[in-house]
Amino acid sequence: MKHVIWLLAVVACSCTSRSSSSPPPAPSRADVTRTAEPSDVIDEKLMLALSQAKNLHHKAKVYTSDGNVAAAIASVREILSLHFPPNAPEAEDVRNDARALLARLLVGQDQLDEAMNVITEGLAQSQRESFFVANLYTVKGEILEARATALDVDPANKPKVVELRHAAIDAYDASNKIDKKLQDQLSGTP
Amino acid sequence: MPKPTDDERDDLLAGPVPNPDDEPTAAERAHAKTFAELVDKTLSGRTPPAMTTDDRALIEVATVIRAASGNVELAQPRRRALIEDALRQAVGARAFGTSGTMTAVRGIRSLRRAWAPWSVAGASLAVAAAAVVLWLRTPPPRVIVEPTGVATLPETERSRPADAVVGPIAHERAGDAATRIDAIFADRLDGYRELRFGRTP
Repeated sequence: MKHVIWLLAVVACSCTSRSSSSPPPAPSRADVTRTAEPSDVIDEKLMLALSQAKNLHHKAKVYTSDGNVAAAIASVREILSLHFPPNAPEAEDVRNDARALLARLLVGQDQLDEAMNVITEGLAQSQRESFFVANLYTVKGEILEARATALDVDPANKPKVVELRHAAIDAYDASNKIDKKLQDQLSGTP
Repeated sequence: MPKPTDDERDDLLAGPVPNPDDEPTAAERAHAKTFAELVDKTLSGRTPPAMTTDDRALIEVATVIRAASGNVELAQPRRRALIEDALRQAVGARAFGTSGTMTAVRGIRSLRRAWAPWSVAGASLAVAAAAVVLWLRTPPPRVIVEPTGVATLPETERSRPADAVVGPIAHERAGDAATRIDAIFADRLDGYRELRFGRTP
């Protein structure tokens, strides 16, 4: 019996001494570690997509300077199909900028309807206001102006021409409105 | 039947071995009868105190053969003596001396019997107590947010809108997307390098 009592005493003392004097244990593997959300950090996927977009833009620039607008249009269209990380805000900005350039190239090819489709798609798919969305409105105004100019050769189209020019003004105004709002936000002006 | 004389016994043991089919001689019969009586006496515990060396050897062989055939029960005194010897060897002759008795062995047994439940109970209690203490002392899993968590990351190292990099896009620069993507890429590359290769102090 004495041995049992001694055994219990030893167990109790060892446990008590550990709980009273030992420092808090260091984090072990059993602890749960929560890592940063991968979609919020600048990662390899984002850099790869940006790098590809950068190269495609420069390809389009070279093609344009060589007068090969069709190849330039094809290069810019490739940007729209690049894979960005999910929910990366840069994706929408890069695509909207590509749409603006694509629409301008199409305007230069007299493909006004296709250019307007590109802009309309960009505006519809945008989740937030940005300088790139404002730029889309700017290009939209340019397309509307180009349409008005194309119709202005016939006096019978005068009402349509006026309507298109007013629509162009509205697009420029929308662009300016977004620009001012964002600039105020960035500069901290209420 | 007359018992065989010493000469006849010597002839029987030292003489030539008869064939298995030969008729037994009178001396052989007499010797067999005498040996049978000797075996009967030995098995009934009445071993003669004196016998010839040859008979003793044959008796031992007969005893071994009978024991090997099984179903041999020792006499009660012999059985008790063997058990006492075994127990004495088990508990240690030093504790009792070589003259330890069954009473002493019984004392040891009773002592062990008294100890056994307490030992088992005590060991079980100790194990249970240790398990409870360890269970109480096991810290709950802690949630550690790494210092590189999103909330603590500087803005330059996070994916974000590119408005601050490009600023308002002038009308005449509406198609200059290549310049803007260059600026965006360079800015994000700086953040990526800081994130991956360490921040400058």
